[in-house]
Order: sequence, then C-alpha cells, then structure tokens
Amino acid sequence: MCDVLTTAKSCRHYAMCKIDFLGSGVCASGTERRYTSFYPVGRMDLYAALAEGTIPVTEQTVEIADSCDLCGKCDFQCYFVTEMRPSRVMKALKDHVEAFLAAGGRPEPPAEDALLQEIRAIVGEQWATNDRAIRLTYSHDPCPIAGPRMPAYVVMPGTRDEISALLRLLKERAVSWVPRGNGSSIMGLVMTEGAVIDLGRMQDMAFDEKNWAVRVGPGVSAFDLQREAVGRGYRVNVAEPAALVCANVVGTGIFSTFMAGYGTAADNFVDAEFVAADGTQFSLSDPHAPNLFAFRATDVESPGICTAVSVKLHPMTDDEEGVLVPFDALEKAVAFIKDCAIRRIGLAVGILGGEYISAFMAPTKQLAADAKEILTRKLGIEYLVLVIGDRYALRSVREMGHPYLDQRMFRTLNLGLPSVRSAQWIDLLAELSAEEPFSYLKADGFAELAETALAPSPAQLVRDVDPELRPFFEKVYARPEMTDLVWLNMFRIVSSRMGREGHFLIFIVYLPLEGALIEEMSRKFRRIADQHGLRNDLGFVTPADGGKRAILEYDYFFDQNDPDAIARIQRAGMEAAGLIEEYSARLGTIRWIRHVVNQGMCRKENLLYT
Amino acid sequence: MREGEAAPVILTGATGFLGGHVMAGLLERGRRLVLLGRASEETSFAERVTRLLGWFGLGHRSGQIETVEADLLEPACGLPRPLRAALCAQAGPIIHCAADTRFSERNRREITATNVHGLRGILDLAAASRASFFHYVSTAYVAGRTSGCCPERLVRTSDFTNVYEETKARAEHEVAAHCAREGLAYSIIRPSIVYGDSRTGRSTRFNALYYPVKSLLCLRDIYLEDIRHHGGKKAKACGILLEDDGVLRLPLRIFLARRGRVNLIPIDYFVAAVMAILERAEAGTVYHLTSESATTIDNLAAYSQAFLKIAGVEIVDGAPNGARLTPPESLFQRLVEPYLPYLADTRSFDRRHAHRATVGLNPPELTYEVFERCMTYAMSVNWGNGGGAPAA
Repeated sequence: MCDVLTTAKSCRHYAMCKIDFLGSGVCASGTERRYTSFYPVGRMDLYAALAEGTIPVTEQTVEIADSCDLCGKCDFQCYFVTEMRPSRVMKALKDHVEAFLAAGGRPEPPAEDALLQEIRAIVGEQWATNDRAIRLTYSHDPCPIAGPRMPAYVVMPGTRDEISALLRLLKERAVSWVPRGNGSSIMGLVMTEGAVIDLGRMQDMAFDEKNWAVRVGPGVSAFDLQREAVGRGYRVNVAEPAALVCANVVGTGIFSTFMAGYGTAADNFVDAEFVAADGTQFSLSDPHAPNLFAFRATDVESPGICTAVSVKLHPMTDDEEGVLVPFDALEKAVAFIKDCAIRRIGLAVGILGGEYISAFMAPTKQLAADAKEILTRKLGIEYLVLVIGDRYALRSVREMGHPYLDQRMFRTLNLGLPSVRSAQWIDLLAELSAEEPFSYLKADGFAELAETALAPSPAQLVRDVDPELRPFFEKVYARPEMTDLVWLNMFRIVSSRMGREGHFLIFIVYLPLEGALIEEMSRKFRRIADQHGLRNDLGFVTPADGGKRAILEYDYFFDQNDPDAIARIQRAGMEAAGLIEEYSARLGTIRWIRHVVNQGMCRKENLLYT
Repeated sequence: MREGEAAPVILTGATGFLGGHVMAGLLERGRRLVLLGRASEETSFAERVTRLLGWFGLGHRSGQIETVEADLLEPACGLPRPLRAALCAQAGPIIHCAADTRFSERNRREITATNVHGLRGILDLAAASRASFFHYVSTAYVAGRTSGCCPERLVRTSDFTNVYEETKARAEHEVAAHCAREGLAYSIIRPSIVYGDSRTGRSTRFNALYYPVKSLLCLRDIYLEDIRHHGGKKAKACGILLEDDGVLRLPLRIFLARRGRVNLIPIDYFVAAVMAILERAEAGTVYHLTSESATTIDNLAAYSQAFLKIAGVEIVDGAPNGARLTPPESLFQRLVEPYLPYLADTRSFDRRHAHRATVGLNPPELTYEVFERCMTYAMSVNWGNGGGAPAA
C-alpha cells in the first residue's frame, strides 16, 4: 500500500481537524460546508475509497476536491495527534479527480429520491444529501467490532423544530436514523443504513452566569465550550476536545480527571432538552418528562436526540496548579488517590499509566517510546497521579509527604524530554530511588539543576519533528499553556495522542476504589491482551463520589488496517468483556460503560449504587 | 582440606558483588559449588550465573557449578522436597552471602525479611545437612554508632546508623544461636566497604566508593554542557567556571558531622581473605576484613578532583544547618547522604582473628593509582549500565 493510501486509511476519526486546538485555524471548506466530507477527516476516507475503487467520482466528490486549497492546516493538527500529514492525501484526492475529469470522466449525479426532497423541505436544500461521496464519510469507524454501514442519507438540521419534523418524517417512512457528533464515536455507535443526522450546525452557546450554567447546542465541541467558559473565568467539566458536549453527556456521561471534584453523570448539568423518536419535545425539568435520571444495568435505547444541555459552570481561582506524583506500583497510587478523594483534596485527580503520560508529553512516536523507557525502566515511574488544585490542596499534597513533579519540574521535563534520553545522571536518580523512591524530587534546588541539565526549550522539544513543521511547533510549544498541567487537563488536547501509534479499544468500568481490586482487574486485562499479542496499558483511574468508587480505563491498541490485528482484538475484546461481566455478576458493585451508553444523564447514585 | 569438604560448597548471593567474587575464587581453586538463588524478572538464575561466569572468564568452569532456583524467604528455601533431600545428603560448607544492602528505614520490612527472616531457611538447611561449616558474610559496621576499637565478637548495641547495620547485627546473633543449638561450626566474616579489584580495577558493582565519584562526574558534565552549549548562565549563577587549563571549578561543599576515616578494602583482598578463612576458620569466630590504613575523605576528594579534572570540592565540618546550598551541593548532599556516616568513621577494627586466619594477607592502600584504575574501569563499563559488567 502506498504511503498516501496508508495515511488515508489510518485516519483515527477523532475529528481533531474540526476544532482549532492549535490556534492555526480550521479547514475553511469544512467550516463553510459543514459535512464531515469537507473536512480532512472526510477527505481521507474519500480518497481511500476512490483509490481502492469502491466508489465512483460523484458530483460532490468534485466539489470536495475543489474546495480544498491545500492550506496545510490539517498537517499541523493531524501531525500533533498522529504524526501523519494529511495534506499529501488532500493533494492526491485533487489529483485523482483532476485526472478523472481530464480523461473525460463524468461525475456521477445523485440518484433521484422523493424522500430526500421531503427532508430537504425541512432542513433546506443544501443540508441533506444522498451523494455517495458524502455518505461514504459517515459509513465507517475504526472500531474493530463494528462493520461499515452505508447510510441512505446524511442530514444536517439547524434547529430543534427541524429535528422534530425530521424525526416525524423518518418515523412515518420507517427509516432508521442515528445522530452523529464530530467524530465517528470510535465505538461503532453512529452508523445506520437509514439517515445519519449530523448535528454539527447547531453550535449555539448561551451563558446564564447568574445561574452558573451555559446552554449549549448539540454541535458544540468540548474544546470550544471550554475555551469560551475559560474566557469568562469559568470552567466546565467536559471530555475529549473534539467530542460534542451534548453527545458526551447523553452518550456516556462525562468522565475526566475533574470528576473527582465536579462529579459525574447528572452532576454535570442543570437541564437538557430532547426531541424524542416520535418528534415530540421535552426537557428533563418537565414534570412529565421520561426519567433519564434512572439507570439500568443493561443495554438501553436512545432517549432521542439531545438538542441542548445546560452545562454547569464552575468557578476557578488564580492559584490553581497541577502536580504529578510518581508511584512504582498501582496499589500505592490507588491508595494515594483514595486518600485525596476521601479528604476532598484536589479538583482533578487521576492515575495515568506510563504509556499515556509518555505519549502526552512527546511530539513524536519515537520520543514517546524513549520517554516511556526512561520513566518506567530507568526511573521506575510506572504511574503518575495528577492532582490539580488550589494552593491549599497542593499544600495538603506536600504535607502528605510524597515526592512530586510540580509545575516547574513538569515544564522542564516536558520541554527537555529529548535531553533525558542521553542524560547519564538519570542513572544516579534511579540508584537513589532504591533507598526512597523518587526522593531526588525532594532535594532543594533539584528543579534548578534539572533545568540546567535538560536545557528545556520549545526548540529542543521539537528537534525530531518533521523539519517542514518544526518552526510551527516550536511556536506552539512556546505558549505557556502547552506545558501548563491545569490547561492541558482542562482542554485535553494531548490525550488524543494515545492513539498515535494505532487505534485502540477501551474498557471502562466504574468500580470500588480498592487497590487490590483495581490491580487485579488491570492484571487480568493485561494478561488477555498479552495473550493476543496486543500492546496494552492502563489508561487512567479517577476517584468518583468522594473516593467511594472510581472509574478505570484500560486500553488495547491495534493496527486498524491489519486484518490479523483486528481478528486478535476482536477475540481479546470478547474475553475482556467476559471478564467485566464476570466481575460485575460476582461483586455487584461494578458498572460497565457499555451499559451507560444512552444513560449518561442518570444520577450517579443510581449508576454507582443501585 | 577440612573434613567433608570434598562435598560441594553451598553458596548464596552468587549474583551479588561479594558472593560473585567468592564464587569465582572457589571455582579457581577447583571447588564444586551449589548456588542457591533467584531468577530476575527477565533472566533465569542459571542464565544470570552463566553471564557472571563469562565476565570472570570462567565459562569453562561451569561444569563445577550446579544452579538451584531457590527463594530464601520461603520455608525450606522454596526447594522441592527431593531436591532439598539431595542437598542435605552432601554435607559440605555453606557460605551465606545473600543480603539486602539498602539502608533506609522505609525499606525496613524488605531488608529485615532478606537479612533476618531469610536466614531461617538456609540455617535449617545447614542443620539438616549437618553442614561442615556455616560461614556468614556480615559487615564490619554491625558495631553500630560507636567509636574506638570494635572487637571481633558479637555486638550488643541497639544504636545503628541504618537498618542494614541493624539487621546484619541481628542476623549474626541468629546465626550464632542457631549454630550453637544445632552444634554447627560457624564463622562470621565482616568486611568493611569493598571496592573493585586493586590490580585490574574490575568490578561488578559501582555503589559505595563509586557513587560519590559518579555523582560528581554527572554534576561536572551537566555544567560543562551548560557552559559549552547553553551560554553557561546556570553555571555562573552557582559560581562554576571552566578554567583555561580545562579544569572545571565546581564549588561544592561536603558537610560532615565530624572528621574521620573511610575504611575500604578491594575485592581481591576480600576474596583472598575469605579463601584463607575457609581453610583455617575456627568455629564461633568473627573475622574483620578491614583496612589498617583507612583513607580520609580529603584523600578521596583530592583523588576525585584529579580524576575528574575538577576543583573546588571542600570538606566542611558540621551539618549544613542554615547554609544556603547551591543546587549541585544540595543534590550531591542528598545523593551521598546514606554514605556520609562511612565517610567520617571514627571506629577502628580489631583484626587479631583475621590476622591469624589470613597470615600474610593485608589489604593494599587505596592509592591514587588504584583509585584511578577502578574509576577508569567503572567509566569504561558505563558504571554497570550496559557497558560490559553483568547486570545484577
């Protein structure tokens, strides 16, 4: 497979190219035309399909190719996340279409369709289509347990009333539908042979500061909402930056390290508005609304389409900082976060695995691998606990006596990461740790010495980055927020890098915050993945409800283009699912994320304790 | 040869620094060995021993060795019953070198487990096999916090510098009591701080003497890099300068509670002395394998500066109370903190038993030439980090 096609087929569908997380702008044609097909993520899929001959050149294909001005913004965005450069695919797409037209080819027009005309009568001519080039980009997902499904229509409504009318029509014609956010969910949840309803146009945000809430439409991304909230001096508890807030709230509830302070599930919103499958509208605060605060430990149908959520606003103080507390064993890290949670220390608390933290800090795969080797093998840092809090919280962490990397040390380590590879003195620290793990972090002046030794700078961090992109990234990493633990955890732009080396299947469970149990389950997840030859690691563990429960994520990685790897992850996935079911049945205190799907608005008490 | 010593020697701790060299010494003298030990995370015990034999150039002697995977923390050393019975039938001497050499209080549980509780299984094996002799490798520093001359006998103190000393002292009493109860002959061998081979500089471990030197080397390189490639601002702020003659002026105060000496012996002397003790040991006897010409911290500082081409290291009497330390001083102080009591030792060691057993053997003085040889070797193998010395 040629490099360009490999790149095209390796798109992770995270939709990071749809948000301006680097301040470099977003693909202009995507912003104007809205359909996923006009963003780099869609063009990647489209080029792969054309190159492999699975679809013809359509009229929309020509528009999609023509509308790309090869500005290269997608290179910045995608390289940051996956180290890929999609602009080569964009160019190949344009070349393919030009060659087709030059050879006298005639683009396929969309098929005549009466229902499409009725849908267009509701949402407007340009916001519904059955062109194959558009539909294709909504037809698949890198999720290994969901096959492609080509939708008949893609529809982009602009209002709640349009959605009501649309759902009534689809019900009347017995057409299945599924709402879709920015990406493809990567869990195989947003595909149908009927109509995909892309909510990307509905991006309204209305702040109600007197009531500590912001009402957001279903097309608002977590990144955009957080940016707007922070600009006004607030914080919201949101998930991955490109994920749409409403979809997250309804789909799985918000889980983030901030759930330690802000809660989960229904804790995160004040109210929400829906359009039910029959087109009727309701709000959660309506006395006769369906009870979406309940939770059942089983698969549950979607309550409809969420058309707005009033998300809670949280105050921020100007003394917030983050620290990372290293641990050599999971049980010790769990004991620490439990202590923090019970004592209500920290707004955001979470255990991060070595794979995660290395990937987050490093701009390239190679540097991430080197960083992991150094952190885990040389320094014995198997886990890092992130704690974000104000000065009182951080004083408590200091008094708890654990050595930690403070904000200054984190910046030094991050921007000096390439120097760590060749640092002889790292061995000294490792030897010193034999007496007291990580005690060097307590030495007066260690941060100063580390700065001297690592000579941290944006230029150094990007020295292995693609030379063409290096000047851009040097400027990016020169921004204070790029090494600010608080900002990075609010906006989560580096967490998408966990998929840089390949796609992943995640297993998420709510469970008691007990070290032995978490260690045991993690070990069993690991054993399953190892048996199937899959790279794997703990994702994160975060306390919930004051340390009574926790959320655990464990990740299996695989190559989405390798049939053998897909077969292995399917088998491993089944076994891991069996493991969760077995523990759930035996202990009665474990809730699997699979059952939270469509129940993300439930009360956390119903989720965790009933 | 003592009675029963045609039988193989049972040795623990063979993959450690002292035990490894004892193993090599015995093999060179034609002895057969049964080595009890554990696999590491990635390498079987047999493979670890094979690597070590390669390092000693004794691969051709592997036929003299039987490696047995054992866990001294388990009852009966974790040995299957038939294997243990076979070992018991051999009734040779046992040399117990295995130890946890960490110092800190926070590791008390593990250190005690290895150094004290771990004795139980091997002492039971000694009793069951009617071992011809039980030799316990301890440390000269079981004397604890004291001054003056330390006798070659069991100590009665509860005032120790660290958990290592305390547990080794407890272990000595366990050995003596158990052997007395079982009617077994035993000896206790107490080396001071052991460094590499004084003739070749070779070593398999680079802690103790090496650690402060390695620390200084790292600090030197950090500031040289800063001066040469980053403008030297950080160096200048600490008063660190590169002189015209290439010497780095690195002002660094080492605070010592008191002036004293550093008792060091090379591994070649240790091995020769142990071999002599195995031949002539008297039951129930303690042997101090220590230096009679212990060096000083000033000497070591001078040697280090000459070797590393640095200047400015200063020994300061008293604790750093209130003194404002530069970042390199602060880190260095923390790095060498566990070793500080041994750098200012006011104890001396009675050696009458050792003299009697090791007639004609005396540890050589640590001259600059020996120091340079050892440090040159250490650097050539990257201080044991993948440069040629076998992994622990």
